[in-house]
Amino acid sequence: MKLKVAMVLRYVILILGAVIMLMPFLWMLSTSLKTQPETVKIPPIWIPKQLQFSNYVEAFKQAPFFQYFINSVIVTSITTIGQLFTSILAAFAFSRLNFYGKNFLFVIFLGTMMVPGEMLIIPNFVTLSQLHLVNTYGALIIPWLASFFTVFTLRQTFQSVPDQIYYAAKIDGASDWHYLWHVLVPISKSTITAVTVLQVIGSWNSFMWPLIVTNSENLRTLPVGLQAFTSDAGTNYAWLMAASTFVIIPMVILYIFLQKYIIAGISKTGLKG
Amino acid sequence: MLYHIDRPTSYIVVGNRLKGAKPLEVTFKDVTLSYDGKREILHHLNFTIPEGTLVSILGPSGCGKSTTLMMISGLLAPTSGKIFFGDQDVTKKDALARKVGMVFQNYALYPHLSVLENIEFPLKMAKVPKKDRKKKAIELAKLVHIDDQLDKKPGALSGGQQQRVAIARALAKEPSLLLLDEPLSNLDARLRIEMRQEIRRIQQETGVTTIFVTHDQDEALHISDHIMVLNQGQIQQFSSAETLYDNPSNLFVSQFIGEPVINTLDITDFDRELEGHVDAEILQRAKKVGIRPEALQDHDTGSETLTTIATKVKHSEKYGREKNALLDFHGKPLLTTEMRAEVADEQELPLYLQRHGFYLFDENGVRIFGGDQDA
Repeated sequence: MKLKVAMVLRYVILILGAVIMLMPFLWMLSTSLKTQPETVKIPPIWIPKQLQFSNYVEAFKQAPFFQYFINSVIVTSITTIGQLFTSILAAFAFSRLNFYGKNFLFVIFLGTMMVPGEMLIIPNFVTLSQLHLVNTYGALIIPWLASFFTVFTLRQTFQSVPDQIYYAAKIDGASDWHYLWHVLVPISKSTITAVTVLQVIGSWNSFMWPLIVTNSENLRTLPVGLQAFTSDAGTNYAWLMAASTFVIIPMVILYIFLQKYIIAGISKTGLKG
Repeated sequence: MLYHIDRPTSYIVVGNRLKGAKPLEVTFKDVTLSYDGKREILHHLNFTIPEGTLVSILGPSGCGKSTTLMMISGLLAPTSGKIFFGDQDVTKKDALARKVGMVFQNYALYPHLSVLENIEFPLKMAKVPKKDRKKKAIELAKLVHIDDQLDKKPGALSGGQQQRVAIARALAKEPSLLLLDEPLSNLDARLRIEMRQEIRRIQQETGVTTIFVTHDQDEALHISDHIMVLNQGQIQQFSSAETLYDNPSNLFVSQFIGEPVINTLDITDFDRELEGHVDAEILQRAKKVGIRPEALQDHDTGSETLTTIATKVKHSEKYGREKNALLDFHGKPLLTTEMRAEVADEQELPLYLQRHGFYLFDENGVRIFGGDQDA
């Protein structure tokens, strides 16, 4: 009996948590199907009288979403691949190679993780504008080609691989380069998947940075493009939510397939969400 | 001192030797290793490992035996001295260039690759065509009796099976030298005996010069043609198992080899028992006395007997076919494994000290009496 109560209680808490987490998504879905007056009604209504699927069609007419989608895909894939490449090399160097000033450099890099991202917006913007990169793909991509968070996470994983595996590879005739790509990376597959997924999500959802460094419409990414529904006259929530639904679909699909790795990635490092 | 051993005449290559694997002689010339320039890990090692033999490097942990192996493999460079493979100076060559095979204590298999892919890996690195390397890998898997597990990942194998895969992988590129770093210490007792026979078999079938690092004297005694005893970075003795036991060159070797451990006494523990039986000049120099437990007989053995000593029985026990007694000799404990008669505790017992298994060591621990004087 006591056990049953505990069980019920546990599920009640879990359900409550799930509802709280899902509420914004449900509101987004429901709003995307409302008429304009319905979106601002108080108390809010959850199920619109008539489902306005036309909102989706209208939303797409408001801005070149296909262009935004292409931009998001380009930026996300290049930053993810680039960042993974540089991070794998750096993590290998920090975990396996011996060079002068290694520990000092590592501590400095670790220190950069303590600086809030918002603080870096202005210096980064200044740097990019001096390089004449503002309002180019370069501005969206280059600052994100290295991430010490990823380096750090991978280094921890690389370090957990026994020395003997490295020696064995050496004896077997593998160079450092071969060992890295043919042994270490495949062994560290789950961590690499985790950081990749985190990076894809972060890059896809990134809003502030693309907003600041681009001003031409054909460089906008999806999250920035959603601004099209906000004007001086107010916000058209129905269209905004219809477009938002479209924006998050790829991430939801990604999450469904890779949730195991995402959770592993977070629990492994105890950092970032 | 240069330790050099002739190739034993009794060495036979059995079965079909793998083609291309020319056994190699390994020579260390005055090899020294120090980590920070001050503390020496290995001191002036000089030795030659004859081609085609199986040599064990035996010593307590921290004696530098694995370090020696790392230097042979090229994973570690000596601070000074030279290393030769045959007559080729390989001191400056790294592990890649030396082309040795190595088996690690924890096997170090690639966890993401199947058994077959693990064995193929060195061949892949050597850019052997796909078809040839598969054929070769299967051939090796058969040699080590693992050909029924080719598609499994190392994680799904038992310790002994992983060991076999590691050996096959080490042999894949037909090394002229096979290095084994405590390969049996992660296995249970029964499997350890089975695998050491397997290693011996594989070594004989391939004829590859094999160097086997262990801290277990039993393992070394059973598997090797020759044993190098290492302690504190120095070679104590490099000889056959029999010589190590019968003619230990110093106190350390006499204590390290032998089970139960040799009885060790100070020369001052003796009154006049040795006088007249050992040269007075030698007695003068002697510091320590070593007596193998089987060198204490409870009956007269005629000319084999050196002298008799008076002891008192403290405790006697029977282990299987062995009858042991712990005795008191001038307040010091002595162990014998050769009791014939029934004895009671506290009984006075004269013992016949045998010539064979009785040694005297000088203040540096060097053997000055007992064994073959020229060995």
